[in-house]
Amino acid sequence: MFARLANGNSGPVRVIEGQGTKLSRTMHGIAYDPLHDEMIVPVHLAGALLVFRGDAKGEEAPIRVIQGPHTGILRPETTALDLVHDEIYVGEDGGKDILVFPRNANGDVAPLRTIRGPKTGLDEVRGVAVDPVRNLLVVSSRSRKAPTGLFIFNRTDDGNVTPRAIIAGPRTGIVRIRQIVVDPEQGKIFVAVKNNKESYRWDAASPSPWNPDEPGFIGVWDITDNGDVLPRAVIKGLASGLVWPAGVALNSEDREIYTIDSVRNGMFTFHTPEFFRKKTN
Amino acid sequence: MENSMKRRASLACAGAFMVFIAGSLLLLHPYSPTFPAVVQASDLDDPCSEAMVQVSTSGAASASGSVAGGDIVPVRSLADPYPSLHSVAVDPENNRVVMSDSNRGSVLFYERTSAGSSSKVTSPKWQVRGPATGMMFIAGVAMDPARHEVFAVNNDIGDRMEVFPYDEEGNVKPKRVLLVPHGAWGVSLNGGRDELAISIEHINSVLVYRREAAGGEAPLRVIRGAQTGLADPHGIAFDVATNEILVSNHGNWAPLTQEEASEGGLQGGRFALPSITTFPAEAKGDVKPTRTIQGARTELNWPMGISVDTAHDEIAVASYGNNSILVFHRTDNGDAVPVRVIHGDRAGILGPMGVAIDSKNDELWVTNYRDHSAVVFPRAAEGNVAPKRILRNAPVGTPAVGFGNPGAVAYDSRREEILVPN
Repeated sequence: MFARLANGNSGPVRVIEGQGTKLSRTMHGIAYDPLHDEMIVPVHLAGALLVFRGDAKGEEAPIRVIQGPHTGILRPETTALDLVHDEIYVGEDGGKDILVFPRNANGDVAPLRTIRGPKTGLDEVRGVAVDPVRNLLVVSSRSRKAPTGLFIFNRTDDGNVTPRAIIAGPRTGIVRIRQIVVDPEQGKIFVAVKNNKESYRWDAASPSPWNPDEPGFIGVWDITDNGDVLPRAVIKGLASGLVWPAGVALNSEDREIYTIDSVRNGMFTFHTPEFFRKKTN
Repeated sequence: MENSMKRRASLACAGAFMVFIAGSLLLLHPYSPTFPAVVQASDLDDPCSEAMVQVSTSGAASASGSVAGGDIVPVRSLADPYPSLHSVAVDPENNRVVMSDSNRGSVLFYERTSAGSSSKVTSPKWQVRGPATGMMFIAGVAMDPARHEVFAVNNDIGDRMEVFPYDEEGNVKPKRVLLVPHGAWGVSLNGGRDELAISIEHINSVLVYRREAAGGEAPLRVIRGAQTGLADPHGIAFDVATNEILVSNHGNWAPLTQEEASEGGLQGGRFALPSITTFPAEAKGDVKPTRTIQGARTELNWPMGISVDTAHDEIAVASYGNNSILVFHRTDNGDAVPVRVIHGDRAGILGPMGVAIDSKNDELWVTNYRDHSAVVFPRAAEGNVAPKRILRNAPVGTPAVGFGNPGAVAYDSRREEILVPN
């Protein structure tokens, strides 16, 4: 955890670490619940979702753990909260699905809903976000065989369902995609378009990560967009510092966008009032 | 959303803006042999954050207008300009030490005796780094004293192992590249068998290859399955004298696919206690380990690197979670108590990631991930003891940001903190 104004070479103000935390490496999602002051982290390598107190630090144990055969969780990649409907969303790359649990679920509990199957178009799910105002669910998915992009479902969809819209194609600029966040106030989707080109096949060489062909960017789409459409806004280019942005978060109060970059091993803050709804004081 | 953005002009701030741009460009060229200056973006309270910036736009027209935004300069950027020391290997025959740097994707070569007792920064003798190397999120390293080669595995990006000659420096192509599965962490060489072993976190496996394996060559043997006890494996030691493979495990396990989740009854993820599992060198498939050190008395806490000392029949483990080096009898089994523990405020161990025993010189090396340092102890050191030498790669007190291929971010609006899982 870093102070919002941390800059340069600053250390974290808090760290949660150690065996007792049940955390591991390869944690590609996180969500903060300001209403209940909790943090939610998926643990990919242990098939678990951990919930911590908001001010947890050190080797502190999670207050709730969703894990077990009845949860349907295999390798959770990403997570999101819907505080209006009191639900947690979990996205999986290996499971190729979205699982929905009650926010306060604990233990080996069955999901309330599961979006999975060939009609969904979902493959390696990398990001999930909810718009409780419009009752929509947005999923970022990467695939070698199917579209890589944003898949928009009804919030209460369940089973092998067809998305109501897919934002994908060459005009979108999306090659590889990661974390997403929705600003329900505006109906905008903020997307970490990582665009990392890697091969995970034993018999195929990976391009050097130092030479990304398509530098990543932060892209913004309307939640009503559909098809092969340009982003409404981007943060992209040499001065932005972004190469492979993997995560994105919003601070609407201070009109800031936070992104984390896996090539830089760095975190960037963009002060972009124009990306947010104008304040009415 | 506005199509273009103009921020207020201030000539007085132009210099600061240019400095920042220069900083950005330095970051974009991370192959400089010297560490670049930290990029200092202007603070929000700084009037220069309102400096004149005509933000470029992509200029591409959409059905609803232009794409807004563009090449926007960050107001703050957080990164560690110094290497994060990950794993360590020692070659006492040639008096060399090599360390991996997961932050800046490099391999650092030091003289074995180069660490000192002062607070001065010790520069590496050589550094291999740059786009030609293919290295990025580098984890385990191993050395071949006979052939003067270094082996380095990429963990979460790249999925490859690179081999470099000792005397190479800078942005050089590897001598050999072996493509390995995603999540490789540890690598260990067995010169006697002419083989190397690699631990893979994501698929809970140990893969054994020919020493000279390259390209897409398949492993000779794979240890994997429910009986192996392999669970989020990290450190690995492929010992010549005992003909064994030792592996440190964090204890995490989860099915990879729906099919695996259904094998032998419904399975979900699980947390086990951390462990050290030992296998015969010839082991393959779903085999039981010959020994397992596991239990509350072991003090294992996120066990990372592991090193075997056959001269004294001991193994040392870097126990990251409790800032300790744990030493066990090599043949310990079950809930064993370590024979020695190095831990305490005088020891200077902080987030130990790598450990290497140098039995020839009776020393033990530790790399600190949470501090910009490596520390060297007498091999038999115990308790809260000061190291005999300290190797620093940044000035004393320099924070270790700790990012290692970060993949997500969230904002805690209550505390005004930015949360990053790593």
